[in-house]
Order: sequence, then C-alpha cells, then structure tokens
Amino acid sequence: MRPLDWFAMAFALAGLVLYGLWRSRGSNTTSKYLLAGKTMPWYAMALSIMATQASAITFISTTGQAYVDGMRFVQFYFGLPLAMIIIAAVAVARFHHSGVYTAYEYLERRFDARTRALVSLVFLIARGISVGVALYAPSVVMTVILGWPDRWTTLLVGSVVVAYTVSGGIAAVTWTDVLQMCIMTFGLIAALLTAVWLMPADVSFRQAIDVAGAASRLNPLVWRLDFDDRYNIWSGLLGGMFLMLAYFGCDQSQVQRYLTGKSVAQSKLSLLFNAVAKIPMQFFILFIGAMVFSFYTFEKPPVLFKQDDMARLQQRADFAPVQRRFDEAWTARRDAARALPEQGAAFRRAQSDLDGARAEARHMAGGVNDTNYVFLSFVTRYMAPGLVGVLIAMIFGAAMSTISGEINSLATVTVIDHYKRFYRKNESDTHYLVASRWATAFWGLYAIITAQFGKSMGSLIEAVNQLGSLFYGGLLGVFTLAFFFPSATGAGAFWGVLIGEGVVFAVRYYTDIAFLWSPLIGGATVVASGMAISAMTRKPAPGAPRA
Amino acid sequence: MNQEEPPPVLGSWSRLYWGIAVYLVLLIVLFDAFTRAFNR
Repeated sequence: MRPLDWFAMAFALAGLVLYGLWRSRGSNTTSKYLLAGKTMPWYAMALSIMATQASAITFISTTGQAYVDGMRFVQFYFGLPLAMIIIAAVAVARFHHSGVYTAYEYLERRFDARTRALVSLVFLIARGISVGVALYAPSVVMTVILGWPDRWTTLLVGSVVVAYTVSGGIAAVTWTDVLQMCIMTFGLIAALLTAVWLMPADVSFRQAIDVAGAASRLNPLVWRLDFDDRYNIWSGLLGGMFLMLAYFGCDQSQVQRYLTGKSVAQSKLSLLFNAVAKIPMQFFILFIGAMVFSFYTFEKPPVLFKQDDMARLQQRADFAPVQRRFDEAWTARRDAARALPEQGAAFRRAQSDLDGARAEARHMAGGVNDTNYVFLSFVTRYMAPGLVGVLIAMIFGAAMSTISGEINSLATVTVIDHYKRFYRKNESDTHYLVASRWATAFWGLYAIITAQFGKSMGSLIEAVNQLGSLFYGGLLGVFTLAFFFPSATGAGAFWGVLIGEGVVFAVRYYTDIAFLWSPLIGGATVVASGMAISAMTRKPAPGAPRA
Repeated sequence: MNQEEPPPVLGSWSRLYWGIAVYLVLLIVLFDAFTRAFNR
C-alpha cells in the first residue's frame, strides 16, 4: 500500500465511525439505544440489512468464487425475494404491533416464557459461535495483504466496532452501515472498471465476455437438480428461501433492523428493497470475478494468489517444473483466447492444463485454498493509488457492519430476553440502558478474545460457520408454528424445537445433504413434531365431552 | 404512515408482492438467456 492508500483507508474508516456516532447522538433511552426510537426511514434500514449480510469474507470470496467456479453462486439468493415477500406480508406487522424489542419476546406472548428462553438461548449460542469467526476470518486475509500480525488486526477492527456500537447503539450501527454500503458500491464499480480498463488495447469488452464464457465462468443459471450440489436453481429457490426466511425472519441481528422502522410500511419497504436489489448486486460482484478471470487470461497471474505460500513454493526445486507447466498452459490459453470462438477446444484444453498445474501447486503448499486471495491480489497489484485504500476500507467496513450488527443483537437478546425477563424485572429505563451498553461491551470483548484463538481454529472456521446455520431450522420452525398454526401450544413449540434441532444435527453428521437444506429439514420437523405434541398436550375445552 | 398506507408503487401491497414475484421470474429468464448466450 502506498501513502495515498493509507490516507484513503484511514479517512474512509474514520469517516464511517464519526458519521455513525454523529447520527446516533441522543441515544439516551433503551428504546432509542436498541430500536433507534423507531424513527428509521426505509432506505437506511434497507442498506443496513444489506450491509450486515455482506460480511467481508463473503465479499472477498464471492469474487474469487466466480474466478474459479463461475457465477452460479448467484442462485443461492434466488429464494431471497420470496422470503422477503413472506416476511413482509406475515411477520413485520405482528412484530411491530406487539411492541417487542426482540423476535423472541413475541414467542412468550404467543406461547410461554420457557419457549422464549429456549429460542433466545439458541440464538445466543448460534450467533456467539459465529461472532469471533466473523472478526477473525477477514483479519487473516487482511494480515496477508497488510503484513500486520492477525492479533493486531482483530484488535483494531474489534475495538473500533465496539467503540461506536457501545456508544451509539442500533442507530450508530444502521447509519454506519448506510455509509459502508455507499463505499462498497463505489469500490465494486471501481474494481470492475479497472479490470475492464486494464485489458490489452486489442481486446474488446465483448471479447472479455467471450473468454469468461469459454471457460464456463458465465453460468448464473444451472437447471440440473442435485441435492449434494449447493448451487442450482432448485436449491436456491427452495433451500435458499427457507434459509433466508430463517435469517431475515427469525435472526435478531436482522429482525432488529426492521423493528427500528418509523412504521410497518417503512419496515416492509426496507425488506422489499432487498428483494429487488440483492440478486443484481450479487450478479454484479460475481461478474467482477469473471472479468478478473478474463483480465488474468491476458496478464499472467501467479500460480497461487496467497503470497506467502507462493514465496515458500518458489524456494523449492521441485516447484520449477510446475511453474513451467503453468507458464506454458497460460501462454497457450492466451493465444487461444485471441482466436475465440474458433480456438474454443484449444482454449479449454489449456484451461484444463492450467487448472492441473494450480491444483498440483496447492497440493505442494499443503492443500491450501487461495480463492479468498484472488480479488485482493488483483486489487493490491493493479488498482490505482488511493483506490486500493478505498477497497481495503470497503472490506474492513464489510467486516465491521456484520460484527456490529451481531454484537448489538446479542446484547439486546441478553438484556431483554434474559436479564430483564428473569433477573431484574422492574428497574428504571436508565438501568436497562446502562445494562445494554455493558452487554454490548461484553459481547464485543468476547468477539475480540475468541478471535484471538482463530489461528488455532484453522480449518475449523468453515465448519464453525456452517454449525451456526444448523440452528436456523429450529428458529424457522418455531416462528412458523407461531404465525401459521393457531392450535400450536407452548409445549409443542418447546419440544418441537428440541426435536427439530436433534434431527438437523443428525442429518448433518450422518448424511451428505448440503447445509442449505438444513433450515427446511429442521423447520419441517419442528412443525410436524410440534403439532403432534400440541395435539397430545392440549387441554380439552371446559364442557367438552371426554372420550 | 400507518399499516394500511399503500406502498409508493403499484398501489397496494399485494400487487407489489406479485410484482416482485414476476420480477424474480424475469431475472431467472434473463439469467437463463445470459447463460445460453455466453457460457460455452
């Protein structure tokens, strides 16, 4: 990074924090701190929802995924518009009119206190598992780029997030997210323009598209149904819909966003904006990855994008033949790319040789996966001075928006669903405001400390991320019972969640079914077992004939 | 705004929901055309 990049990064990050704090001044009651006094306009909630979902690692890996696997990942979001319609039509008004602070508070009104306690505990476990990883995972990548020790990176990002989240509450989180989304959009457009601009003068935009297409990178739609494959239209529409229903309808980190709305209509609009904008945005991010692929067809990439692994390999004598194979394959691919479509077969053959050389290099480096480094490598090598700083700030910002949303929601559930409900019921508003700030600081500190152990987690990170998603089936099932099954009882909901979670974990560990289907399997089990138990435990109405 | 207030476009919430569903179908059709046109 050059001095201008450091300046741009520091300016963008300081601007983010100061803007959030300025917009959140006066958060001096529990309602203002946790729900922004229900004053948020739809566009702020909409962008905040989008920013919270776009974590840094998702961001970095999405472009890398298009580079190595094409654009089919976009299908993961096909269920999102349908989920948003269902949530807007069914859940938003109920949450708003019941005057709750958390989604789980609603469950006590519908069922009983133990169901609320269980489900909010499930949320705390699921989010508690992921919050440290959300902080650590991007730090690893940034460490490689910036050369800082990962402990310092996690400490820096964590401290900044804790500072503005503790101080300004949900209003600071939301308004910071708005600015983060603006920086992300600017950074993405700059990245795409750079990739296209830096193509050789004799390569047109249409040729760049043909190159990506010839390598099967332009494949946003796959019709083939395969339960073991995460990304096809069916898993996206059905599995994705249930996953998004659980995430946006039952996860407090998202529900809390639209609970801050000025009105039911504003909250609905914030969700429906995401229904319209999310898929094109993901398509755009993936298209950048595809264009980076085309760019590297004419500009030679490193064999591996992770610099430290690449430097180690270059010290080894047995790497020279692999490098030679890679160079020959790249040259053959570049020459064939200039003569597409006639040289399509030669292009694919060279691509296959290139993939083979890269696979061998990855194996020699200990089985590393360098997908997350493709985009960052491109940014730091080729983008203009100043823009690199903006892009790095964008990735830090994406991490910060996710983490701030998570610690804010964890603190809200801790205070509202546990501390206030079970320990200190009748304290003043100031007491709960102070408790909320302490809880936010606690979860922030917890995230920083658990992130310090990230290095020893190693390859467990992906497993830990997927483990968090296994809890969505229980959450989705119990809210389905609450909204759609008037005859469901508290006992049915409580035991249904436990049975549903048991089934989800059994399916996860004893079958190969992709994790995208977990919410559907878990949710269906909760509903079926919950209704069966409700039927068995329902008390007969007074005066009803006994069998 | 209150709950009954209509959305800023399409006049009613149910029409807006249907509009978004149709938009999703259109996106899928466009992506299918994109895949067929460029992915070889």
